[in-house]
Amino acid sequence: MSARGRAIAAVVLRRLIAAAWHTRCGLRRGQRRRQAVALQLRLACEELGPTFIKLGQLASVRPDVFAPETVFELERLRDRVPPVPIDAVRAILTAEFGASPDTVFASFDTQPIATASIAQVHAARLARPYRTVAGATLAAGSRVAVKVVRPGIEATIEADLAVAQRWARRLERVSRIARLRPGALLEEFRRALASEVDLRNEGRVADRFARDFADDPLIAVPRVVWRHTTRRVLTTEFADGWTLDKLDDAHRSGIDARRLAAHGAEVFMRQVLVHGRYHADLHPANLMVTTDGRICYLDFGITGRTTPAQRIAIAQVLAATVYGDAARALHYSRLLGLEVTEEQAPAVHDAVAALMREHLGRGERPDIRGFALGFLGMLADFRIAIPAGYGLLIKALVTVEGVAQAIYPDIDIVDSARPFATRLIAAQLARPERLQERVPAAVRAALAELLA
Amino acid sequence: MNDVMRMLAAWALIHETADEGWKASVGRGRELAPGELDQGPEAFVDGLAALVAEEKEKLKASLANPDHDSAGSREDLARQLEAMRFELAELRGSIESLQASVDAIAARSGN
Repeated sequence: MSARGRAIAAVVLRRLIAAAWHTRCGLRRGQRRRQAVALQLRLACEELGPTFIKLGQLASVRPDVFAPETVFELERLRDRVPPVPIDAVRAILTAEFGASPDTVFASFDTQPIATASIAQVHAARLARPYRTVAGATLAAGSRVAVKVVRPGIEATIEADLAVAQRWARRLERVSRIARLRPGALLEEFRRALASEVDLRNEGRVADRFARDFADDPLIAVPRVVWRHTTRRVLTTEFADGWTLDKLDDAHRSGIDARRLAAHGAEVFMRQVLVHGRYHADLHPANLMVTTDGRICYLDFGITGRTTPAQRIAIAQVLAATVYGDAARALHYSRLLGLEVTEEQAPAVHDAVAALMREHLGRGERPDIRGFALGFLGMLADFRIAIPAGYGLLIKALVTVEGVAQAIYPDIDIVDSARPFATRLIAAQLARPERLQERVPAAVRAALAELLA
Repeated sequence: MNDVMRMLAAWALIHETADEGWKASVGRGRELAPGELDQGPEAFVDGLAALVAEEKEKLKASLANPDHDSAGSREDLARQLEAMRFELAELRGSIESLQASVDAIAARSGN
């Protein structure tokens, strides 16, 4: 076993012992046992460094595979990595551009403004004007953010993944774990990581996202400076503002937080239900409120997609949820791939209706997170498999609630969703193909009524 | 969707002065804001009315234009043009990024 393999094994063993202690050797039942295991898993990822932090973050958007407690615990994974020394950053920039950063940029800050497991970000100023893919030209001297992949990160990821693959193959022999298909899942994560370390992919998604919301004056997406972007460097317009954990200053500056929070929720629904591509990694570090009162989206490393048919079904589920219609929510969830058998349907319906009454009922502020946790737990109790896209969406909706509440704590996200869901359903019902389907049946029913 | 909306918009335009109920529904639909909806069916009608009202304004504009017959196709063309402009700009971005990498390799190899 390699030195790295031994180090990984030591951490895993230590965390397993801790998990056994906190779960009383597995004697604790249900939610508390799963929470204790999830906590140790998160701590193990943080201890094992960039590759495992990233794997944990990818796992946190897969409630279709992992228990809800694991998903929500891994969501708290934060990169605590030391910054890369400036000389190493300069060396990467020089290799990528064939010239030192002092030549490429008018100025380049030596102190990073953000550090993460895959890359770190430095502020700089453009030496020459740049015409972006959309919008006005960035003038010479404009402030930009330069994201640089950490040196050697690809090799580190490869080495760690090789160890993880060996472990996954062994774990596949354990029947309880085999159903998670760890080998296939790891391969999927490997592809996602490979895409993320090529920063050009993130730049393309950012440009598309900016185009999707070009007509929305409350949304900002930093535009990409492609002239200074390569596989390992991404240069974008600089976003000036407050991160979501420093919004007190924003409130003091007169930002209309309630409006922004409600708009943020609607923007998410527009991403999912209209454009079919959405930011699936919304956490406070990836969102800002700009000084001119807009919501700014950063870091498009993890995104999700929806097909047109899914969008219609999702809109129906969403509308049914915000209006508390359990039967309709269940019907369209089945269209989205939730396999509920005829025998299970009445019990599942009653469980969903009870969850809706408990968490989304009127009187006090609805609790999407509580509803989602209960819903996912209920599906697990009934042993109903969750389709990947459906799980990701539930997770993303919970995140949006968290983000909206970070901007304006008293927001009622269900109330904010109603107007948008209603207009969307109205638009879908008025589609010619939909009318063609329904009008003949309606006419026949009307004639039957008249002739009766 | 556009055809149906256009048909409803034409109907709304013709009945604009007569139908106060419709106008009120349009007003409510336009003002849809978080926290102001209580019931599903009414909200649905208001939402639909607001969509029709938007289409009606487009119809009015195209009727006011002497060349109104081709307004729809001009709109389509503008959309296509915008999409192609974006793709072209995206392509330019990719080429600029590749050029930066080529320049770097050339600089390293001394060419």
